[in-house]
This record gives sequence, C-alpha cells and structure tokens, in this order.
Amino acid sequence: MMMADGGNTSSTVNELSNLWGETVDLMVCESCDWRYVLPQGVLPQRCPNCFNGDLKLLTPGPEIQTVCSRPPESYLPFSVSMERVLQNIQEFASGPWFAPADLNPATLRQRLKRVYWPMWLVDCNVRAAWEAEAGYDYEVVSHQDRYSDSQAGWTSQEIKETRVRWEPRAGRLERSYTNIPAPALEGHRQLVNRVRRFQLEQAQPYSQDALRQAFVRVPDRSVEDAWPDAAPAVQDAAADECRKAANAEHIRQFQWTPDYQNLNWTLLLLPVFTTYYLDDDQKPQQILIHGQNGYLSGVKRASMKRAQKTALYIAIAAMVVFVLSLLVSGIGLVIPPLLAVGGIGIVAAVLLGAGAIMPLAIAWQVNRSAKD
Amino acid sequence: MNKTFPPPGYISTESLVTGIEVYKPAPVKIEDERETVEFKCPQCGATTAYSVVDGGLTCTHCGYYDAPQKPVVGKQAGEMEFTPQALAQASLGWGEERKELECQSCGARTLVPSESLAHTCVFCGSNKVIQRMASQDNLRPRFLIPFKVAMEKCQGITRQWLGSSWMTPASLKQVAGLNAFAAVYLPFWTFDSTTDANWRAEVGHQETESYYDAGDKEWKTRTVTVWRWESGKVQLKIDDLLVGGTAKLSTILLDKIKSFNLNELVDYDPKYLAGFHARAYDLPLEKAWEIARQQMREATRNACREQASTSQIRSFSMNLDFSDETWRYVLLPTYVAAYRYEEKIFQVIINGQTGEITGQRPVDWAKVWLAIAALLAPGLLLGLIGLVTLPLGGLGVIIGGIGFVLLVAGIVIAIIIGVQANRMGEA
Repeated sequence: MMMADGGNTSSTVNELSNLWGETVDLMVCESCDWRYVLPQGVLPQRCPNCFNGDLKLLTPGPEIQTVCSRPPESYLPFSVSMERVLQNIQEFASGPWFAPADLNPATLRQRLKRVYWPMWLVDCNVRAAWEAEAGYDYEVVSHQDRYSDSQAGWTSQEIKETRVRWEPRAGRLERSYTNIPAPALEGHRQLVNRVRRFQLEQAQPYSQDALRQAFVRVPDRSVEDAWPDAAPAVQDAAADECRKAANAEHIRQFQWTPDYQNLNWTLLLLPVFTTYYLDDDQKPQQILIHGQNGYLSGVKRASMKRAQKTALYIAIAAMVVFVLSLLVSGIGLVIPPLLAVGGIGIVAAVLLGAGAIMPLAIAWQVNRSAKD
Repeated sequence: MNKTFPPPGYISTESLVTGIEVYKPAPVKIEDERETVEFKCPQCGATTAYSVVDGGLTCTHCGYYDAPQKPVVGKQAGEMEFTPQALAQASLGWGEERKELECQSCGARTLVPSESLAHTCVFCGSNKVIQRMASQDNLRPRFLIPFKVAMEKCQGITRQWLGSSWMTPASLKQVAGLNAFAAVYLPFWTFDSTTDANWRAEVGHQETESYYDAGDKEWKTRTVTVWRWESGKVQLKIDDLLVGGTAKLSTILLDKIKSFNLNELVDYDPKYLAGFHARAYDLPLEKAWEIARQQMREATRNACREQASTSQIRSFSMNLDFSDETWRYVLLPTYVAAYRYEEKIFQVIINGQTGEITGQRPVDWAKVWLAIAALLAPGLLLGLIGLVTLPLGGLGVIIGGIGFVLLVAGIVIAIIIGVQANRMGEA
C-alpha cells in the first residue's frame, strides 16, 4: 500500500538511485495517484498529469521496488522543435468561439511540462514447433469485355489478376526476439490513442540528462502483468519470420508451442509534453503533445460565462434599438416618413434580440461536441 | 496442432531464415508414371481390354477381371486456373508429329499420331495406353467418363435413328457398313466462370397519344414509341461449359451430343482406355477458352436484354467482367462411324454414356418437295378460287381469305421443313 510520506531516506531509495544513475526521489500525486521519479531536491511541483494536486514524496513499498528496480535502458528524445510545438499551441488556442480566458497561447506555453511515459521492452529466446498456412501470390489471366451496338460488337481486354494460393507448412524454430513492447501503464492504450504511435526505432540509450529534463512516470504494471501483452507480439514476430523462411508472401492460422527462455525486461521512455487551461469551473483541461512529431490532443471547451456576457450585450443593444425605434415611430405619427424608419428599426431590434441566443447556443454546442 | 513432428506426410524444404526449419506436404506421387502402359492378362498372358458391360478390365480368354480402383469424383473433379504458365504450356501444339511406339509384346514398331493416347498393335492386338508426352504433365487428362453404352447396341441405335425421319430415303435403314463403330475417348475442355455485367440501353415503350388531325378536323389517337434509357446489372455463374478439344471432328455434330452427365466423372486410370481409341487435344486451351468465352458473353448479353422492360432495344452497350475462371481437360466416351450411301460418306456419332445419337443423313429431296407442294397447294387453290368467286361478293372474299391464311401457314411450315432438311446433311 503506497502512502505519501514526509520522509524518504530509506536504503531502498539509495539502491534505486544507483540503478537510475542519479540521486532520485519518488513522488506521487495525491489527486490522481500518478507516480514519478524526479532528481532529488527538485522543488514540489504540480502534477503534470492532472494539474490538480501537488507532488509529495513517496515511501517505496515492495510493489514500487519491483518496477523501479528496472531502470530505463533507452528513451525516445524530445525530437520535435519548440517552434512546432508553439505553433500547434497557437493553432489550438485560436479557437473555439467564446474560449475561456485561460485558454490562450501564453498560458499554455508557460505551463508546458515534459513527461516520460514508461513502456516495457522484453527480449527473449524462443524454441517452438509451429504450423501455419503460407500464402503464395500467383497471377491468373482474366478478361474484361465491352459490347456496344454503335461500335458493332465486342472488344476484349486481357488483364492479369493476383491471387493467393494457400499451402500448409510446419517447422521448428529457435530464434531470439528483442525489444518487444508491452504497456507499463494501465491506461497506456488510451493515452497512446490520444497522441498516436511513437517511432520506437528512434530510441537512444538512456542517459541521466533525460531524467533531469522531465518527469519520468513510474510503471504501474509489473512485468508479469505486461507479459500477456508482449506474448502476442512475440508470436506475430515469429509468424512473420516463418513466412520469410517459407518464402511466402502471406501467412495465416499460425499456431505454435513456444518455450520462452532468458526473458530480459527493460524500460523505454516515451516523450510527451503536457499543459493545461482552466475552464469556467476552474477545472484543469489537459492537453497532450507528442514529443516526436508535435501532434496535439486536447479538448476545446467554450466559456458559458463569456457567452452569457456577450448575449447580454446583444440583448441590451437590441433593447436600445427597440426603444429608439419606438420614439422614432412616435415622431413618425407627425412626420409620416419617419414611421417607416421606426418600423424598420423595430424589426431590426427584434432580429437582434433573437440573435442574442446565438452565443449561448454556440457555446452549448461546442461543449456538447467536446463531451462526445 | 499435430502432436508428432514433423507431421505425417511432410518433407523438409528450404528455409530462408537461419534457425527456422520448414516442412511441407510431400508431393502426391502419380501412381503410374510409365510412359506407356501395356495390358496383358496376368493369368494367361492374353491381351486385356476394358469391358463396358463388366465395368472393368477383362480377359476374354480366361475370364480374368480387374476393376479400376478410382472413385467417382463427379463435378467436384479438380479444376485448374488460367495461369500464364498453363496457357503457355497448353499452346504447345501437337503439330503433325507422330510418335513411334515399340510393342513390348511382339517388338513391332508403329507410327501413331502424336495426339493418340491409346493404341492397339496391328500385329499382335495388344492394347497400350500412352500416358506421358514430354513436358505435357500438367495437361494430361485427369478425369474421364467411362463407357456405359456397349458397342453392340450402336448398330440398333443407328438403324432406329436412320429410319426416324420421313425425309430420309426408305432404303437408308438397310445401308451397309454400320457395324464399323470406333469407340473413341474424345478430348473436351470444361470451363467455369462468373460473369458480371453492367448494361445500358434505350428501351422502347409503346404509348398512345392523342393528336388533332387538321385535315379531318377531329381528335385522333395513335401509338408512338417512346425511348427511355434503362440500365441494370446481371451476374451469371456458368458451370462446366463443354467445348470440344479436337478440330478433327465436326463441331456441329459434337455440339449435338454434348449432354454428358459430368456427375459421373472419375479420376483418370489407364485401365479405362485399354482397348479403346483415345485422342489428346489438338484445339489448344486458349482457343477453346475463346470459344467458351464467346458463348458466355452471348449468354450474358441475352440475360441483360431480357432484363429490359420491353424487347424493343437500341443503343445497347455493356461492360462484362469475367472472374473465377477455371478449366478442366477431360476425356469423354463416344462411338464414331461413317457409312456410305450413294457414293457419299456420312458421319455418325453416339454419346458413349447416354446413347444419344447425332450425325449426317441423306435427304430424299423428292419427298421434301412433294411435302412442300402439298402444304402450299391448298392455300394456292383456295386463293385462286377466291379470286374467281370475287364477283360473287362475300363468299369470294371468305374463300380468298382462308386461302391466304393457309398459304402463309404453308410457307412458314415449308421454310421450317427446308431448314431441317438442310441441317440433316450438315456437319
């Protein structure tokens, strides 16, 4: 059971520091329970995930020891330029209509934080017997014909089509597979769906510089929990190799009886920028930015308060126009041409009054779409 | 997964990745790979032949019987696809080459046509089946329908057929030379395909419209044709379309006996051919496929035209896609004979499975012209009587009308008879 604690001086932390190559503290957010590794001595900070709670020191228990005892072996550097990030922030903050006051480029830039999400990588040796169907492309000759009364008969065109011939294959393999990814966070899939795929081939060996530049999220899944996600990926890699071995273009119904040996788990760090803005209820709205390509994911909310204010101004303007039009219409009883002017003014006032609903409707629609 | 490794019937094959072994099913061995198979009775050494009556290989000397062990595969018989390799191999012509066979029984050397698949030695009577020709392995016949109709029945079938039409000469039934039937396995191609067509055409609809006749100063109605564009889609699945594989026999006659029941196809076994003639194809696959495609697209075009709301069609156009095209090379049983009548040769072919007969027959044109004359005479006569009695008023008109109708009917029937008579002699 993890508890936020005022002290953090156990020998276990020292062991972890040695593993991570840096004197580190383990911090936890009391609001969202996200846990981070930070260089020791870093001032208490707001959680870069929920932006609601402050980070407190954490006393590591057996569970956290398990996951932290595997320091990162590699990381993906923040390769997107700051110009690109700021440009995307600018574009995001330029809408919607009636955006909250807090949703502006300067605020978002100021609150930008670097975070590393963890991902497990596993290496293993596999011995297995396998069976599958291997697909071989082959060509057949077909025809497309055309008939027309006006062109007096048939014209025929020979075409070639590619088909697949499936043949059974079996065999044995003894191969090694390296860097098979598996999620190290419970909500990994949802997070990655928001910012899209990472280019894992750009990984570099871990250095303490990465730790100093960012918040490093600690895994909350053990390697035992992560293995069921890695095993299918190992099977896919093996199936592809068996396809190549059989000199086939396709493979299907791959089955095997694997014997895994020498599993070696390492950690890979995935780069993400986070920032936030406050909505009408002063609730932080998280924005994520992909650390490699700058893709931005965030919900744009409209400020109902701003919309109400704008609607009020329009309504007041409509009232003023209405009163003036009434006066002019009254004068128009004596000077007839003014009657028409007054009438037009009244119609304009009614239309303007009806238009006062628009800001509210727009803000409501924007927030409804954001929920969907 | 199989518990034993490697799975039974699998052999090792090349692997392109170190550390991975690959096994594949062993190729099916062709049971009898001999280039030529000779049929001798294992009991008495006499020549054996396939017996239609007994349905197996028999020896007429000692009664030895050996049934072919091949199952009936019917329409499930495997089909091949139109790969460029198959088309290229199938286009290798047989040409006019002849193959020299040395008889294993008596040592005689005989030249046989290259497309002959079976041969009986003229010296000792031993039966041989030629199974392989150089690189034509993919195009060996793999299926056939065994003979079901015995040779002895052919003469009776033919005599009955010869006397079945009133247009033939009366003496035709007694013509000589009808016992010289040759039992021949003829080559055929079968084709399967799906055709998908999109069509578009102007379709005429008869509509009645009113118009004002200025001359008669009144409203009248008339029927006009209104043309409207229509379109549609048709899909046809064509199964086992038969095309003859030899150009040496009349395609008209072959077309008439094509009603083979392909549900009785069996796997090829040389025992079925023992004692019979058999021909390999001399019409290549590509040409046969062209013929089949022509039939398929005409069938599809007719189906498209039938989809139109009326039969008045113009500016018809369609796009047609062939898909799932497959083919088979099969041998089908026939009896072929030729007879002479009044210095002319006529061909007869009998379907060796169903007994259906077709062929050429001489026409007694005297009978035909008499019949035509008899058909036209009443109409002409009544027409003339009608003309003569016209001054008598209504009676002449009625008689003339009846005569006209009879004349028209007679002309139509005469044309039909004339066409049928012409076709009887066609080949």
